[in-house]
Amino acid sequence: MNREGAETFLRLLAEAEIRGPMTSALRMPWSADVPAGSTGNLMVTAAEALIAVQALDRETAEQILADVDLAAVVRPGHPQQAPADPAGAPRPRPGQLRVTIPNRYGIAPVGGTTPAAPPGPGWAERFVPVGVSVPFGDDEFTGELHLLCYAHVASGAAFAMTWSIRHSAAPYATVRAHPRVLTWRFTVTDDRGQRYDLDASGTGDPASADLAWLRPDPPPDIGWLEFSAPGTSPVRVELAAAAGAEPEVSEARLSAGEQLLIMIAERLMALAANFPRDQRTRSRPGPASRPGPASRPALASPGTLEATAAGLGTIIAALEAAGVLSPLSPVPGWLATVCASLNISGHGITAPARCDLPEPWLNLLAFCQRRKPDTGPVHDGFAAMTGTLPELDGLRLVLLGLHTNGGVSSLHALARGLNADARAGPCGVETYFPLSVWIRDSGGRWHAVLPSSWHQAGPEYALQLWLVPPLPRSATWIEVLAAGRSAQVRARLTLRWGYSS
Amino acid sequence: MPNDPWYSCLASCQTMVPCGQGMHTVRWEAGALVLLAHADAEAELVLAALGGEKSGCIELAETWHRHTDDLSVLAIGPRGAADEINVSWDDVKQAAAAGPRGGPARRGRMRLAGPPGSAGAAARQQAQQDMDDAERRRTDLLSLLALGYGFQVRLAGQVAAAHAVRPDERARPALTAAITGRLALVAEQWLGIDPGQVEVSLHAGPGWGTTELTGRGEARRLRVSLPAWWLARVWACGLPLIGGHLVVAVERAGWPDARVLGVRGPGAEPVPLDVHAREAAPGGRADAGDAPHWEM
Repeated sequence: MNREGAETFLRLLAEAEIRGPMTSALRMPWSADVPAGSTGNLMVTAAEALIAVQALDRETAEQILADVDLAAVVRPGHPQQAPADPAGAPRPRPGQLRVTIPNRYGIAPVGGTTPAAPPGPGWAERFVPVGVSVPFGDDEFTGELHLLCYAHVASGAAFAMTWSIRHSAAPYATVRAHPRVLTWRFTVTDDRGQRYDLDASGTGDPASADLAWLRPDPPPDIGWLEFSAPGTSPVRVELAAAAGAEPEVSEARLSAGEQLLIMIAERLMALAANFPRDQRTRSRPGPASRPGPASRPALASPGTLEATAAGLGTIIAALEAAGVLSPLSPVPGWLATVCASLNISGHGITAPARCDLPEPWLNLLAFCQRRKPDTGPVHDGFAAMTGTLPELDGLRLVLLGLHTNGGVSSLHALARGLNADARAGPCGVETYFPLSVWIRDSGGRWHAVLPSSWHQAGPEYALQLWLVPPLPRSATWIEVLAAGRSAQVRARLTLRWGYSS
Repeated sequence: MPNDPWYSCLASCQTMVPCGQGMHTVRWEAGALVLLAHADAEAELVLAALGGEKSGCIELAETWHRHTDDLSVLAIGPRGAADEINVSWDDVKQAAAAGPRGGPARRGRMRLAGPPGSAGAAARQQAQQDMDDAERRRTDLLSLLALGYGFQVRLAGQVAAAHAVRPDERARPALTAAITGRLALVAEQWLGIDPGQVEVSLHAGPGWGTTELTGRGEARRLRVSLPAWWLARVWACGLPLIGGHLVVAVERAGWPDARVLGVRGPGAEPVPLDVHAREAAPGGRADAGDAPHWEM
């Protein structure tokens, strides 16, 4: 890695900014009307890319951008120096101008969380697919609690779960504000008569919580749990061990720059697949967003793909300057092909497009091109499965089931080693999850898997990942392909679907 | 490399700065700031350190010294005499009044996205401290820019000289960019080349460096390797382009007469040139000596 080259690249970009005709049009990212692809924006994009691959530290990047900011505002003609008004009032001067402040990017030094030590000798983590729905109904709420998977880890025992709420007397805001508004009505008892509370707090939104913890922590070898809820019969959840196929691990050799570009390409394709062209131009959330306690917020519309892809050429140049992307790498050419396939212009990639795209990319691009805007959402449902993936680039994932709600499919996972302090990278890439994950369903269709949210659960992180396109209920198994820089993992998992009654 | 100070080709310059209820004259002379209205500046500094009130001139001198090796001076300051920077003392006053805690400077500024998790009190305190430091630093830099072009280039020369004397690889990117930004404009005048086609590397070792022109059309590149000293001894002294020659080094420093090494074209060997400084043209924006014009 050439850290000097990385910093020099950004500083030279700054020189071009100050020298060039763009100086008078400079708008920094905190300006409300930043034109996509403006040089100021490109500097931020390049800085984010260099920080994401750890070629540049955050403080240096912020200092460079702060200097450019000040250099721009002290030069006449800068748009932040508004012209005097007709009454002759003095125009804003540098003392009143916006300036860069530290931590603008807030991308913290990279470093995963410290794994907690196992509770004691002989203790082992336990993951059991469940696939059981627990109905409930009273004056306030009627619906079902869908239990996808039981997980017993160092920080406790929890169910990956999702809700179907058919009737709610309480406003959604009330549900959001009170973590126990849904869970208090359940009584959980184990095969030894011990009773537990369900705790979905810590997620910020109990209705969309993906983990419910058992309090107190149960013994490691319980055989079943019984869920009781008002208005319904108890439901027993067997916790029999289920043997899964061993994941296949193979070597990968990706540079940090290639990895970042792959994540950008996957995000572009996912956005294109999730939002047909006519919907991308809106700045509102897409049609999958349905307010209500049982639905999750959909991906916000990203605007035009051009805005997301602006600066890709600069990112590639920055990564090459930092020595984390070989000029011979095929990935920039792949990215050019993705842009061409999605009719994205203005990306600035100079590498010629290539035809040898990875199979999942081709499959998703074909979906994007075939897809009709009025394609209906897939039906709601949930699927129990578990899969523990070997550690990739310091990140270990345990898959805990998936569900589809409101046309959006989500994969539940527990992650260890997540860089929770990382912020969004260039083009909206989530750098806290530096893996490329794809799912191939039993019908042969590939689905991009992108991180959507997380919350901390002890040393683990409860992670939700979006599947694009959503997974059809006809899928009987999935093959998960997770790739880091040095290795990739394939795991085939059988799905046991459950449906809302 | 000559042993004479980097500023030997620079005349003194002076300006007026706000101090107390009036304006006082501050002069740059032989690499140092002279506070003409404060006969015993040293004593005032001691008193200020003991809690006494600081005069505007004393504060300015302290600010100057705080930034004599600050690479941001190169990043923000002028790239050439035509690169106009407008900062008045009113601007500085407003900036100081606005920060560091609240005031109009805060309005409209982009707020940082909060960290993914909830920030703790310590983190918030640190963030606030960082913001305060950044705003103080910004006020510092504005006050230095308010001194005018003559002082701006002299401070840039001082910064470059400080880093040339104590080479530090961490400063290489900033120095490379600083030379590129300034040489690109000079090269445009010299060869008519697009400034974006100028590539600079930092020369280390004996000699002045190299120049090379390669390619055609969009692929054309002027590749120049120069030492950090060039910024101080040549550029800051107003010497970079004389009589169609790119000046790459100063052989014999002096004011108003000096001998420099200039190259007629890329790849050519440098030739010694005897040059003479003329004060800025009447009506020019610089005070006498601030932006000297050198002739062969």
